[in-house]
Formats: sequence, structure tokens, C-alpha cells
Amino acid sequence: MSKTVLTVDDSRTMRDMLLLALEEAGYTVIQAVDGVDGLETLAAKGADVVITDINMPRMDGFGFIEGMRADPNHRTTPVLVLTTESDAEKKSRARAAGATGWIVKPFDPVKLVDAVRRVAA
Amino acid sequence: MSDAAPVVLTLSPVLDLTAAEPLKAELLAHRGRVLVVDASGVERLGGLCLQVLLSALSLWRQDEINLRLAYPSDSFSEQWAAFGAPAFDSEGALA
Amino acid sequence: MDAFEAIKVTFFQECDELLAELESKLMLLEQGQTDLETINAVFRAVHSVKGGAGAFGLEALVRFAHVFETLMDELRAGRKPCDPVTIKTLLRASDVLADHVQAAQGLVPEVDEARSAGLVAEMELLTHGGEAPAPVVEEDEDDFGFTPMAFDMALDEPLAPLPEPASGWRIELRPHGRMYASANETGLLLRELGRLGPTTVVLDDSQLPALDALAVEEGWLAWTVELHAAVDEATVREVFDFVEADCDLTLTPLGAPAEADFVFEEEGPAVLPAGDDLDIAALLARVQGEAVAEPLAPLSAPEAAPAAAAAVPTPASTPAPAVASAPTAPAPVTIRVDLDRVDRLINAVGELVIQQAMLSQRVLESGLARSSGIALGLEDLELLTREIQDSVMAIRAQPVKSVFQRMPRLVREVADMTHKQVRLVTAGEDTEVDKTVVERLAEPITHMLRNAIDHGLETPAERLAAGKSPEGTVRLAALHRSGRIVIEISDDGRGINRERVKKIAVDKDLIAADAVLSDEQVDNLIFLPGFSTADAVSDISGRGVGMDVVKRSIHALGGRISISSAPGKGSTFTLSLPLTLAVLDGMVTTAAEQTLIAPLPAIVESLTPQAADLHHVGGLDPVIRFRDTYVPVVDVALVMGFRDAPMDPTQGIAVIVETESGQRAALLLDAIQGQRQVVIKSLETNYQQVEGVAAATILGDGRVALILDVDTLVAIRRSGVRSDFKLAS
Repeated sequence: MSKTVLTVDDSRTMRDMLLLALEEAGYTVIQAVDGVDGLETLAAKGADVVITDINMPRMDGFGFIEGMRADPNHRTTPVLVLTTESDAEKKSRARAAGATGWIVKPFDPVKLVDAVRRVAA
Repeated sequence: MSDAAPVVLTLSPVLDLTAAEPLKAELLAHRGRVLVVDASGVERLGGLCLQVLLSALSLWRQDEINLRLAYPSDSFSEQWAAFGAPAFDSEGALA
Repeated sequence: MDAFEAIKVTFFQECDELLAELESKLMLLEQGQTDLETINAVFRAVHSVKGGAGAFGLEALVRFAHVFETLMDELRAGRKPCDPVTIKTLLRASDVLADHVQAAQGLVPEVDEARSAGLVAEMELLTHGGEAPAPVVEEDEDDFGFTPMAFDMALDEPLAPLPEPASGWRIELRPHGRMYASANETGLLLRELGRLGPTTVVLDDSQLPALDALAVEEGWLAWTVELHAAVDEATVREVFDFVEADCDLTLTPLGAPAEADFVFEEEGPAVLPAGDDLDIAALLARVQGEAVAEPLAPLSAPEAAPAAAAAVPTPASTPAPAVASAPTAPAPVTIRVDLDRVDRLINAVGELVIQQAMLSQRVLESGLARSSGIALGLEDLELLTREIQDSVMAIRAQPVKSVFQRMPRLVREVADMTHKQVRLVTAGEDTEVDKTVVERLAEPITHMLRNAIDHGLETPAERLAAGKSPEGTVRLAALHRSGRIVIEISDDGRGINRERVKKIAVDKDLIAADAVLSDEQVDNLIFLPGFSTADAVSDISGRGVGMDVVKRSIHALGGRISISSAPGKGSTFTLSLPLTLAVLDGMVTTAAEQTLIAPLPAIVESLTPQAADLHHVGGLDPVIRFRDTYVPVVDVALVMGFRDAPMDPTQGIAVIVETESGQRAALLLDAIQGQRQVVIKSLETNYQQVEGVAAATILGDGRVALILDVDTLVAIRRSGVRSDFKLAS
């Protein structure tokens, strides 16, 4: 059975690009548009790996990851942060929130799939 | 050494971060008993639960009581070995 | 179109939405709402444009968006004030960003480079406060995905020989508890190393406490992996990319000088053959004896330096607070549907309405009793059809926001060109109307806004002299009123110069020199064809087009336009449009054997004129008594040219209507057939613009009927101004 990846991004373009790359690699993709939607989707459907944007309305990526980690069911679900900001501050904030890893935008589909594979149990 | 019958402790399928603390508590609850740890249902073994299991083996050894990792699933055997953890035989006997 | 191109289309659609969002948030900033959430929303919009543009390699767009984003980042971090000067720059930057998006899309040949470069310089100045921007910018370049990874030793030691490609690597790894807390897993790291080549894995549990003293979420184990593969260091290090800060990691090339190396007597192969019955205690003892508690001395090999740096415990172990996210209503669940599909559905429902009407008529003609099962069933069907139609129409409804959001830029540009100070206030952006109506609103609104600024508002000096604030206000508002959408564009400028307007109208033979007109009638003269002249029309508002063209385009939508003005205080244009171009509730009437539909919303009452209630005033058309007042009678067939002689009002029926501006009149018609919902058929293709006719429809029996434009009919009657009323062939 293929693994399920939840992508959380307010940009339709990004969601589409992630969908394209991940489905091509054989993953099942479910989507959410912001942190709040992400937490609800995760609670309702679950996921093997999560990819989230940082800058989103309503609830940003940091809040989303913290929310995820507060849920015993998703303390160990790998979550990759997707952002153009690769600077140390963003990374360490994401890590402090509980992020497993990151993907730098604009992403190379191969590297994206690679990163997902690396963290997927 | 121990006069009670062996206790069988069945491991959860996913032995990740969240399983480590409960696993430790369960093992400690049976300290002093001959223990058969049933690994037949394990799908995923993480580094933290590996620590707990290794530490338990060492403690039982120190107490000179038998602790066996038994009926390992293929996943458990593979992941246990990939960690470079000490081997056990096909019966699951460890001592 | 391949998937990638399809996403690109999505990207540009999304850009339009993001730019609109950007514009509206910048407006809030301009109005003083400089809270963090608004600034963040601006940041996000620019950030998303940049992110997508990066994915498609749209470099000019990325570069501009990047500078914009960097400035927004300063603002949201509170390092730079969000002051009026900065906001003005942001507004202009958003215009240029929109230009870049258009250029990237190939809609315009290229961006005004000087303008773009000027804004980049301006934004950089604001970002760096006039200091040399170098260091910050360098760091920010990370955004484009370049992460320094390998060190080029040759730069420091030009004579040093190139390092031999290692035949393999010894990797020493001691994960910290934090590594597991972030859902990283040693097992997966080992698995990834195994993908690079054959490995042997040795476990070190010498630091592992006894179970009862074990802090289970800390890392107590260490691993030494020998990887036998000729890969470069970066490749190996990439495996640990996510965890470098959360573990002790040392990489040593295999076969390198063993100064800080440890020799393992036995390889401790990862996979032991089954049946290899080892004593666990003995094994543990052996491993303990072999392994070394401390990681390798970091200075022993040049390659180890970055690892040592990375091994410093992460300072950010305290949870960072999430950016304040105001609890707002959950985003509505939406699906995107191809417009063609919706339109097919709407057309089909339109046909359904016609068929249902025809069926009802046939049943009526067949003489079935109204209480018969079939007739009752048809009534239910009619209700249901109506409900389906309403629901389908609602699919096409869109807020006017998309049009309103384009206006601030226009206002800024026109204000700059005319050297006027203008504040645009908008209201009712969420008012919904059919998509087609929304799309066609842009042009008339644009035109009227230009007009309001160019002609309506005074210069700052003139305003000061008139005791007004130097900044003029233009208000653009949308609202629903009695089943129509009303757009109001008002300014607080000088108002219409009625003397001048009247003079122009007389000069151009549009009215008689001695015509007695009310103020309102004078104001509305500006909509007459031929009123606008080259010298009355400036570059900005006119572009060679007069208000009559605006009026005509509004009429084509089944809408009406009027103006009211107060000298010295300003003018208000009021546009009223149907909410949909597809259906209309109408009263079916006949006049001179023509079937005409009077829009139900305009009808107040219908009555049979009695001779006693009719009066002829000064030889003009009669007036009729209605609720203690007299209203003018409009002989519809006569006005529209269907008949040459006026009819006897007592032989017909009077339908009392009210115009958009509240004037009442009695439409004199031959008979009323009934009320029904009619489907408006392509009004523009079948008929040329006919005054007094708003549109056409097909009735249940297949006849074509004209839909009356009540306001125009009444206006024709009242002003005595006539133009070509003949029905186009």
C-alpha cells in the first residue's frame, strides 16, 4: 500500500507541484491549505509523512508542527518544512517546533521525493 | 531464583518514541520475573525502544534471570540486525 | 498541455489572487491598520508569488519579489517602521510586481526597467536604512536554494594536492534525544547509508544506563558505520542533513591517516547468520571494551571541522511561539469548476425554464382544471425549476472585489498624472453579482473613477481655497437594492457646472435653447450621445470616449446609470445592474400587437385608467391620478414607434412603474397577459441598441418578446429628448 503524504500549503501552485512530484513517485497525496486545516486533516485522515509551508494564514507552519507534536498520535510523524527561507533562524525555529527536516524551495522534484523517502519509516 | 511462572510481554507493532516510556514501565513491572518478550507483531523498531530493550537485557542479566526475545517478526529481526544489535538465535533465546 | 504547464496556468491565476490580496492589505496599511497580521499577509502574498516564480524559473519576477519580500520581512520583524513613506513605496512596488507578473506571463512585452530598478533601489534603501546592504543580502541569497556544503580547501592552500577520492567512510554517530523528538530515526539514517554502498554497523551501548535509571527519550547509544563506497563527503553528509545539530557526527575517510582513528579488532558485522548463538553479556562486554566513549577529536581531520561546528548543541531548544494567528472563520470548502461546465448547466436550466413555461401554457390551453393533478404537479415543477435556477445562478455569483481591487492602482496613477491628492474609499466589496456582470463592470467603473478625479476633484490649491481638505475623497461602493446591484461612485469635488453643461448641450443641438430642465435633467445631459467633445475630454478620463459610451455599455448589461450633483460638494454616479444577465421576473404585456415584458421590480401597481383620473396638461401627454398625485402617462407603443397615433388611455391598462431614481410614471399598454420568469437571450447579438428596450426573451409559446427599459422610457417621455427609436431589423 502506498504511503500517504499530507501537504500543507496556502499556495495552490505549490500544492499542485507537490502533488505532481509525489504522485509520480507513487505516494498518495492529501492536501490542506493552512495550519488549522492541516491539523484537522491529519486528525481525520492521518499521514505517513507531512510536508508543510511556513508562511500561511490562520496558523503558520511553526504552529502547525507544534500542534502536531502535541497530539500523541503524531509525535513521531515525520514533518518536512517547505520554505524558500533556508536561513538558520527559520530552520532552528522549525526544529524547535519539532520539524524532522526541510526542503528548500524552489525544489527539485527528485530531491523532494528523496527527502520524503529519507524520513518515511 | 524466581519462583513464579514466566511472564509473556507482547511488544506493540510500532516501537517508536511514544512507545519507549510505556515499554520501560512494562518491563520494570516484571522485574525479577522470567520474561518472554514476544516480538512477533513488531513492524517498526526505533532507536529509543532499542535502548530500552538492550537496557532490560542487561538488567535481567545482572539479576541473573532469564529474559528472552522470542518469535521475532521478520521486520524486527531485520531492524534489530541493521542496528548492529547483538544477535539472537532462531528460537529467540538470548542466554 | 502537460502537467507542468497546467500548474503554470494555475500559478498565474493564483498570482492574480495574490496581487489582489496584496493590494487590499496595502490599502489597510495605508488606512493606518499596520498590525502584524496585515503586514504578514502582505509578506505572504509577495512570498507566494516569489515561491511559484522560482519554481518556474521566472528570474526577473523572483528578483523583484525578493527585494520586496526582504523589505516586508524587516517590517514584520519590527526592525523598520511601517510609516507612510514606506507604505507609499510598497504600493508602487505592488504595481510593478503586477507588471512583472504580466511580463512573465507574456501579456506585456516587458517591464519598465527604469521604474522597476528605481523601486528596487528605493526598497533596498528602506530595508537597509542607507547602510551598505552587503552582508544581509548575501545571507538572503540562501533563499534561492544554494546551501554552502563543501569547503573548497584549494582556496586556502593552493598548493595542496587534491584529496584522493576516499574508498569509503567511517561514520561515527551519537544521536541526541532531540533527534528522536523531531521524528528522525537512527534506523532510517543507517538505512540511507546502506543505500550508498555496503556497510558494517557496530553498536556502542557503553553509555546505556540500567533500565530503572534510563531516561528513555535521551540518546544513549552510538554507532560506528563503515561505508565501503567511493562517494564524496557531501553525499554522506547529506544523509545527516536534517540531524546534524541533533547528534554528534564524525566522518573519516577510510584509509586516511589513522591519527585519531580507532581500530576495531572485529568488524562486528551487522547481519549475523542465523544460529550464531552468542551470549548477550559476552557480546556486550566485548562491544564495551572496543568502543570509545568520546567521539573523535574534531581537529584531527580537516573534514571534521564542519561536523564539530554542527555538533554544538542547538540553542533553540525552547519552543518558539507561533506567529500570532487570529482565530478567523474556517476557510470555506471550495471546488474549482470549469466555467464552461457551469455555463452549460445554466443554459440547460434556461431551456428547462422555457420548456416548463411552454408545458404550463399547453396544459392551460388544453382546458384542464387548475385543480387537476397535472396542473398542481406543474406548479410544484415550476417552484422546483425556480429553485434550481436560483441555485445555478448562485454558482456564477462572484463578489465585486476582484474589480474593486484593481481600482486603487488606477486612482494612484490618475492622481499622479493630474497632480491631485486622492483618497479612495471602497465599501461593499463582498457584494455578489453574476460573473459576467463583474467582468463587464471594470470598464465603466474605471471610466467613471477617472472622470471623478479628473473632472470632479479640484486641485489641492483649489480645495484649500474652497475651505476643503487638500486631499479629495472618491468613494466606490457596491450594494444590493431591490434585486439589483447598485454601484455608487461619488467624489467630494466641485460638482457639475450646470451652466456649462447646459450651454454645451444647446451648442450641440442636443436640447432646445429655451428648454426648461430640472437640475437633475441637466446633470444627466452628460450621458447624451455627442455630448463629450475633444476639448471637454482630457487624456486621462476621456481617451476620446464620452460618458454616453459608459451609459451604453451599462445599458447593454440591462443596467441604468444616473448622476446627482451638488455644486461645490461633489457628484455621485449611480449604476444599477441586474444581478444576473440570464433571468428576469417580468410582467408580460402587449402594445400594438407586440409582446413586451415589463421588469417586475420596477412595477408598483397596474390599473385601468378612468376618464375622470386623466388630465391633459398644456397639450402634452396626459397625466393620471395615482394615490393622490399625478404621474405622467407614457404611451409605450407610440414612444417606441409601433404606432403613429396615441391610444385612448381608457381603452388600455396603465402599469405604474418607478424608475431607479424614484420617479413614477404610468406605462400605457393594451393588455396584461400575466407574470412570469423569462430567460434573457443574447441581447447584444440579436438586437442592436434600441432605446426603451433592455433585452429580449423567448416566451413559452415560442414568441420573441422585448424587455422594456423602464428608466429610458420614462426619461424619453420627460425630457422630450429623442433619438433613433426604430427597432433594428
